[in-house]
Amino acid sequence: MSSAISVRNVTKRFRIPMDRSTTLKYRVSHPISTSRYRELLAVDDVSFEVSAGQFLGIIGANGSGKSTLLKILAGIYRATRGSVVLNGPVSPFLELGVGFNPELTARENVLVNGAILGLSRPELKRRMDGILHFAELEQFADAKLKNFSSGQQVRLAFTVAIQADAAILLMDEVLAVGDARFQTKCFEVFARYKREGKTVVLVTHDLTGVEMHCDRALLIDSGRVVTEGAPADVTGVYRRRAGEESGLDDVEPLAEGETDGAGSDLTIQRWGTGAVRFRKVVLDGGTGERGRHFETGSPMRLHLELEGREPVADLVVGVMVRRTDGTVIGGTNTQLERFRVPELAAGDRFSLSYAIDQLGLMDGMYLLDIAATSGLTSVHYDWVRNAARFSVTDVAGRTGLVQLGGAWEAAEPDGTAAAAYTRR
Amino acid sequence: MTSATWTAATGRGGLTGAARYWSLVRELSITNFKLKYTGSALGYVWSLAKPLAYFGVLYVIFVQLFHQTQDDFGLQLLLAVVIFNFFVECTSAGLGSIAGNGHLIRKATFPLSALVIATSVTALFTFLINMTLVMVVALVAGKLTPGWQMLAVPPLLVELYLLSLGVGMILASVFVFFRDVGHVWEIVSQLLIYVCGVLFPAKRVLSTHVPLPLPVDLGQLYYANPLAQTIEDLRHALVTPAAAWSVTITGGRLYAASVALSVACFAVGLLLFRRLAPYFAESL
Repeated sequence: MSSAISVRNVTKRFRIPMDRSTTLKYRVSHPISTSRYRELLAVDDVSFEVSAGQFLGIIGANGSGKSTLLKILAGIYRATRGSVVLNGPVSPFLELGVGFNPELTARENVLVNGAILGLSRPELKRRMDGILHFAELEQFADAKLKNFSSGQQVRLAFTVAIQADAAILLMDEVLAVGDARFQTKCFEVFARYKREGKTVVLVTHDLTGVEMHCDRALLIDSGRVVTEGAPADVTGVYRRRAGEESGLDDVEPLAEGETDGAGSDLTIQRWGTGAVRFRKVVLDGGTGERGRHFETGSPMRLHLELEGREPVADLVVGVMVRRTDGTVIGGTNTQLERFRVPELAAGDRFSLSYAIDQLGLMDGMYLLDIAATSGLTSVHYDWVRNAARFSVTDVAGRTGLVQLGGAWEAAEPDGTAAAAYTRR
Repeated sequence: MTSATWTAATGRGGLTGAARYWSLVRELSITNFKLKYTGSALGYVWSLAKPLAYFGVLYVIFVQLFHQTQDDFGLQLLLAVVIFNFFVECTSAGLGSIAGNGHLIRKATFPLSALVIATSVTALFTFLINMTLVMVVALVAGKLTPGWQMLAVPPLLVELYLLSLGVGMILASVFVFFRDVGHVWEIVSQLLIYVCGVLFPAKRVLSTHVPLPLPVDLGQLYYANPLAQTIEDLRHALVTPAAAWSVTITGGRLYAASVALSVACFAVGLLLFRRLAPYFAESL
């Protein structure tokens, strides 16, 4: 098979200015100063080939250089060193809807973006009905894009993007979009691309998507290729590596306003009367060793230490686990589970733990909220949102939010287990 | 150290090469034009109303108050305002055309120069509408005298366009790296109106004698400025023979220098843009 993309020894070094040299004043007042730059090696001597008709998935953590690499492939960034050869026309859009303008109608946006795709106006006019039909936006053809729901916008963007008559498609985080029904259409398009022998390079965080659609995968870390090969093998390596690095701050002791380095959204938020306060929250993997990373199915223990500042007789302690997107995965408290918390006098310390034998969470980053509240009134003594953050990896690579917890067993048509196959 | 190369085959479906480029420029400029007037009640009427209102103010000041009425100066002023307006619109829209499309440039591959060219084409739309208005006014006033001098109009318009586009490309390229240029250009374009002979007839400029330590006088130098030169020449070619060909003011050498400056602006703009374009995406 001939090679559609050939990347040889590509290196990209960014120079990030450390002072304000982008103003003329600086240039004029410091004419001879050599600007100080921080060098960032975003892509470091990367080489690979993609054969025609292959689907390649590029995975890696945020900031690993995978998007930079894709931009170099697209010709948006110029490599510092190395060569890129693309044997075929490349689709111009890396992301969906980049050329969209909210002030234009759906029809006008199709014309502008179609021109960027290289389609002539008569050709676009010919395809217009089909585009609007596929995007399910026939009635909204002349409505301004700003009045569209995000789902409608993304449907239109996907439909426009697939009009490209390109042999090579480069996509950044563009897998299936829209609702379940539209996703099916997206998958049909991917299948069509496969049939037509188009070459696709996909940069994504969606490991399952890579396993489903790609023929090959490439794992990038700190700008270097860690491994490449069959998608399942590469995603397995990635999952294990992600598991090894906790990379998170220590959870204790709790400090007000302390951030965990994950951006302002994940700042610890704390409120309450202060009659009872949490002094410590420690997560451990059941072995007594503190950790922020857990594997699905392994034990997890949460230690909480509280201090009474005032006498409290109706203390209820609760925990809640959320995903970083806000979805509540689970929550419980001592009252619901009829666990008696002793009455606290001012100055009393009290520790308790919440133990999970087999963690049912799947791959992802999770946030923990802890709360000390009144069981009789709606008073919050101490509520700590984002008290801790932890990640979970399912080394087995199962998918979804929760581990289903089932077991596979081969069965005869009458339902009895077939002993011969159960060992597989 | 091996140099970096990026090679891609050209498209097979759809348009390729120049046809693809021009269809992109056309769609982008139509979009610019639509977006410029979208949401306003009067819409496209503004493309006419704005220079007219500007002209109205200047007319009251320079024609009514300062009594510059000789040689149909009102009409000369109107024409000059429209030309000057084109230059300012073309250059200031060009200035922002790259920096203002950072999102698109960082996420899509297409010839970036199309963005600057499209803003100049949009300015050209407005210019042609306004020029039509000027011609109608001149016709109604009985000042439109067909003659050989009109043959000079197309090359003069080409010169004006090359100058405006060239300056626009220079500004667009530099603005990506030095944002101060935006503010500087705002001031410069306001001051330019005084050094381009928009507000005064050439006779007035030439009657002011300022000794210069040069073999030419100020008036000659004044009309060696390509914008002043095109404005003065278009005045002569279109509305009044009373406005002299600028070559009769400057002499052949300075005239050639002025035309050469327009062409040079275009060439420098094009070269600078081509040189810097590969670094736009990472600098935005």
